[in-house]
Amino acid sequence: MPKRTDLKTILLIGSGPIVIGQACEFDYSGSQAVKALKEEGYRVVLINSNPATIMTDPEISDATYIEPITPEYIEEIIKKEKPEAILPTMGGQTALNAAMQLHEKGVLKKYNIELLGAKVDSIKKAESREEFNEAMVKIGLEVAKGMFVHNMDEARIAMEKIGFPIIVRPSFTLGGTGGGIAYNVEEYETIVNKGLTASPTSQVLVEESLIGWKEFELEVMRDKNDNFVVICSIENFDPMGVHTGDSITVAPAQTLTDKQYQRLRDAAKKVISEIGVETGGSNIQFAVNPENGRIIVIEMNPRVSRSSALASKATGFPIAKIAAKLAIGYTLDEIPNDITKTTPSCFEPVIDYVVLKIPRWDFDKFRSSNPDNDVLGVQMKSVGEVMSFGRNFKEAFQKAIRSLETGRAGLGADGKDKYSYEELTSLKKSERNLLKEKILTKLQTPRNDNIFYLRYALLLGASIDELYQSTKIDKWFLNQVKDIVDLEVEMRGMRI
Amino acid sequence: MPNTKKIKPEIFLKAKKFGFSDKQLAEILNTTEDKIKKYREENNIFPVYKTVDTCAAEFEANTPYHYSTYEKYNEVTSSDKEKIIILGGGPNRIGQGIEFDYCCVRCVKALREEGYEVIMINCNPETVSTDYDITDKLYFEPLTVEDVMNIVRYEKNVKGIIVSFGGQTPLKLSKELEKNGLKILGTSSEDIDVAEDRKKFGKLLDKLKIPKPDYGTALDLKEAKKIANKIGYPVLVRPSYVLGGRAMQIVYNDEQLTEFFFEAAKLSGKHPVLIDKFLEEAREIDVDAIGDGKDVYIGGIMQHIEEAGIHSGDSTSILPPISLSNKNLKEIKDYTKKLARALNVKGLLNIQYAIKDNVVYVIEANPRASRTVPFVSKTTGVQLATIAAKVIAGKELKDFKLKKFDDIEYIGIKESVFPFQKFPKVKMFLGPEMRSTGEVMGIGSTFGEAMLKAQTSTGNPLPIEGKIFVSLNNNDKKPKSLKIVKQFAELGFGIIGTIGTAKYLNENGIEAEPVFKVLEGRPNVVDRIKNGDIKLVINTPLGKESRYDEYSIGWAAVQQKIPFITTLSAAESVVQGIQNLKSGKKDVKSLQEYYTK
Repeated sequence: MPKRTDLKTILLIGSGPIVIGQACEFDYSGSQAVKALKEEGYRVVLINSNPATIMTDPEISDATYIEPITPEYIEEIIKKEKPEAILPTMGGQTALNAAMQLHEKGVLKKYNIELLGAKVDSIKKAESREEFNEAMVKIGLEVAKGMFVHNMDEARIAMEKIGFPIIVRPSFTLGGTGGGIAYNVEEYETIVNKGLTASPTSQVLVEESLIGWKEFELEVMRDKNDNFVVICSIENFDPMGVHTGDSITVAPAQTLTDKQYQRLRDAAKKVISEIGVETGGSNIQFAVNPENGRIIVIEMNPRVSRSSALASKATGFPIAKIAAKLAIGYTLDEIPNDITKTTPSCFEPVIDYVVLKIPRWDFDKFRSSNPDNDVLGVQMKSVGEVMSFGRNFKEAFQKAIRSLETGRAGLGADGKDKYSYEELTSLKKSERNLLKEKILTKLQTPRNDNIFYLRYALLLGASIDELYQSTKIDKWFLNQVKDIVDLEVEMRGMRI
Repeated sequence: MPNTKKIKPEIFLKAKKFGFSDKQLAEILNTTEDKIKKYREENNIFPVYKTVDTCAAEFEANTPYHYSTYEKYNEVTSSDKEKIIILGGGPNRIGQGIEFDYCCVRCVKALREEGYEVIMINCNPETVSTDYDITDKLYFEPLTVEDVMNIVRYEKNVKGIIVSFGGQTPLKLSKELEKNGLKILGTSSEDIDVAEDRKKFGKLLDKLKIPKPDYGTALDLKEAKKIANKIGYPVLVRPSYVLGGRAMQIVYNDEQLTEFFFEAAKLSGKHPVLIDKFLEEAREIDVDAIGDGKDVYIGGIMQHIEEAGIHSGDSTSILPPISLSNKNLKEIKDYTKKLARALNVKGLLNIQYAIKDNVVYVIEANPRASRTVPFVSKTTGVQLATIAAKVIAGKELKDFKLKKFDDIEYIGIKESVFPFQKFPKVKMFLGPEMRSTGEVMGIGSTFGEAMLKAQTSTGNPLPIEGKIFVSLNNNDKKPKSLKIVKQFAELGFGIIGTIGTAKYLNENGIEAEPVFKVLEGRPNVVDRIKNGDIKLVINTPLGKESRYDEYSIGWAAVQQKIPFITTLSAAESVVQGIQNLKSGKKDVKSLQEYYTK
C-alpha cells in the first residue's frame, strides 16, 4: 500500500519540558518522526514548549511553534495551520494527554482532524486501567488482582480483598507520580490520598503486589495489516517493585527459556492487536512469577516511550522513524531497513551482544527530612541514564557503571569503596558475619547504591541464596556479579 | 611484595573481557594506571570495535555505529578523510541536561557541512546525538580517558577533539586527553584554566579594569573565616570544579560559615574552597557570545527575574533585557568583548554578571557551550552553536551574516521546571544550588504575553480569578510588596495572608483576610490550599531556619499544581502574565514567522 495522499499537513505534538519520567528521549523520537514525515513530502507543523530541543530547531519542521502544550493553544495553531491529522504518539504522555483533551473538547471533530498512530479508542483502552484490564481478560491474559478506587471508603474495601502489600497507582500520571507500595494500613491510607490528588481523574488502582517477580518489557510494532514484529526484549535486573525507569535493564532478556519468551511474544501480539494500536510502536510490560512462571500483563504504552529510545539504540532499529512511516499508511514489509538497506523492516532485529541501561539519580540535590526520598519504588526518581554494550553481561555492566560519571570506574575496586577490600577481608569472623547481616538487611530495600553492596556482601562471603533472599534479583544476574567479584579476588595479590 | 605472583596475560585479558577498567586493575594489582596502560601496550591488549547492525552480521551493513569489546575481529575501518571527534555530555543530570545534547548535535551538523568526517562518542541512549544518522560515525562508549584513547588509536587523520559542547563531562577530560597527545580544538586549555582558576581570573579582571566581587580561596576553616571577615558577610561559599552549584551556600555569619565549610571542602578535595562576596539584591545577567580570535559576536544578553543568589539554571531569563540602563548594557557588551579577546576565545563563551548600585560586576566566565545557548538561538534565530562550531573549524565571524540580538521586536522568557513533587518535604525555596530538571520557553510580543505562555507551559498555570495567599518575611514588608499585592487586588483577586502579613497589608490599606499558619490552628493555610480555595501562593522565605509551615505550604501548592512564588520580582512579573490572561488573547506564531519579520 502506498502512503496516504489525502493528508498534506501533519501536526506533531512534542513532550514539553524535561521532567523526571519524561526526558530527552522524546526529542530523539520527535526529531526522527519529523524527518521521516518530511522525507515523504508532508508539511510538518510542530508544537513543543521546550526550547532546548533539536526538534524545535527552525529548519527541522515547516512551522515550529514554541507555545504551551494545552488544548487552547493547540486549537489556535490548528486554526492557523489547518492540519488534516495529528501525530500524538511521539511526545510521550504529554502529547497523548493533549490529544485526548482535544478529542474531549470536540476540537478534533470541529476541525475534522484525524489522530495518526493511535486512535482515541485505543488510547483509552490502553490508558484507562479499567478498560485495559477488561481487554486483557477478554483475550485470556492475566492482570494483577486489583480494584479502582475513587475515595477512601472504596480503598478500604479494596484493601480487605487484596491484602498487603498493596501497590497504589494513580491513573493518568507520569512516571507513577503519587504512587507507592503500602505494607500497612497507615502507609496505605497516606499513599491512596496522595494518589487521588495526583491523578487528574481522582482515580487510583490498588492492586496485589507482585514484588519480587521478574519484570520484562517487549518493544513491538504493528502495521495496519496486523504485521507484527518484536524489536527488542528487555529484562529488568531489579525485580518488580522498582519503576522500570529506575531499574537497571538488560537487552535482550537473559533469563527466559525460549518457550517462556515465545509465550511473552504471543501475549504481546494479542495485546497490541486487541488494544488496536494500528500503526506504530508500543511497549508492553510483563511480570513473571519466578516460582511458577505465571505471566501477568502490567501495562502497555500505546506510543513511543523511554524504552523505545533504548530499544532503538540497543538494536539500531529506528523505531520512531518507522512508526511515523506506519502512521501514514506504509506497512512493515514496504519500509526498507535503513541499516542493511536490503532487508525490510519486518525482519526482527537479532542482536549478538548484551546491552545494559543504568539510571542516574541526583538525590544529593533533594536532601530532606524524609529518609525514604532515595528509596526506589513505583515512582520514578532518576534524572537520566546511560547505556553500554558488551559481548557479555559482565562487560556491559562494568562499562555502564563507569559511564555514569558518579566517580566510579566499575563495580568497586576503584578507590571509592565505602568498605575497602583490605578492610572487608581482614575482619574477624564475628565482625564479618555482623557486617554481612547488616548489608543483607540493607539490600532488602532497593536503593541506587545497592549494586556496590552486592559486591561487599560477596566479599564477606554471602551466598547467592542469601543475596537472592534479600534482593529477589534473579540468581543468574547475581552469579554474573559474583563472576566479576571472584575474578577480582583471584587477581588480588598478583602484580603486572 | 614478595608473595605476589605475576599476572598471566590470559587472566588480564579475561579481566578486560569482564569489563574491568584500567583504573580498577591499577587498584587491584597495586600499581598505577599508566603502568597498566603500558602493560596493555606491551602485551597488545586492546579492544576491537563491533558494529550494531540489527541482524547479528547476517546481512551486510554499513551502519557507522560501534562499540568496543575485547575479542579478535575488528569490524571498523578508518577512512583517510580528516576527522573531528566530538565528546557528548553523558548521562542527563540536574545541571547538565538536554541543552548540551542540542549543542553537540548542532556542532556535528556544522562540521559535516564544513566537510569533516565527524565522530561522536557518547553513552546516553536518550539523545539525538546518539542517533546513527546524525554523525559519520558513532561510538557508544563511556566518556573516560581510557575509552576515548582506545578509539583514537583506531582512527586515522584526526584533526582534533571538541570538548566544549557537551557540558562539564568532556571538559573534565580535556587535560588528560591533551596529555595523551590529542589536540583540543577551540579555546586552548591554558585559557580555559585562566577562566576557571579564581586567582588567575581575578588577576585578568584587574588587568582589564573590570569590577568583580571581592573573593578569596581557603583550604581550612580558619583561613575561610579570615577571608569572610575581610571581605564582609554575606559571602558565597562553594567548592572548586562543580557544575550546577552543588553545595553552594550563602552565609551571613561565622556560625553559618562553619556549618557549610566542611561540605564544600569535602567536594573540593585537594582544591581550595571558593569564597566570594555575595551581592545581595543584585540583578543577574547572563551573556552568550562567540569569539573567533579577532572578533566577538554577542548572541544574547539575558536578564534574570530573580535576584542574585539563585542559580542561573533555576532562574527565569528574559531576552532581550527589559530594564537595563543603556550605560549598563554598553558596559556588559564592552566587558564581554574584552574578556573574549583576553581569553582568546575560539567558540562559545558564557559570562555571568551582577549589577548592584549601578556597577556591573563579572561573576564568572566560561569559555564553552552554556545551558542558555538553545534558548538564545530559539529566540533570536541565530544559530550560536553552529556558528561557534564553524569558527572552531577555521571560519571567521565576518563570514556570517549576523543580526543583532537587540533588534528583535518580541520577547523570549525561559522558565525552569522542578521535580519537587517526587521528593516530599524537600525545601522548595530556590538558592545557589540548581535543582530544576528542565525548561520551557514563552515567546510573545509583550513581556506579559511571554510570561503567561512560559508559566502556562510549566504546568502550573496562572489563575484568572480566586484568592491568593501571601506570606512576606520582614525584609519584604516594604512598599514594593504592597504595590504588587495591590495589583493582585485590583485584578480582582481576594487576598489571604498569615496573621502577620494580613495585619501589615490591612494597616497599609489593602484588605486581607488572616489565616492560621500550620501550627496555629485550623483551618489553616494548608487546609485552604488543599480545598482548592487558594489559587496562587506568594511566600518569601524566612531565612535559614525553614519552618514546618514553609515545607507544607510549598508541598500543598505543588500537589495542587498552583504557582508557588518565592520572590517579589517573580510575583511582579506574574501580575503582568495575569493581566495578559485576563485580556483573553491567545496569539500563536511560529518561529519561522518571528524570524522573517
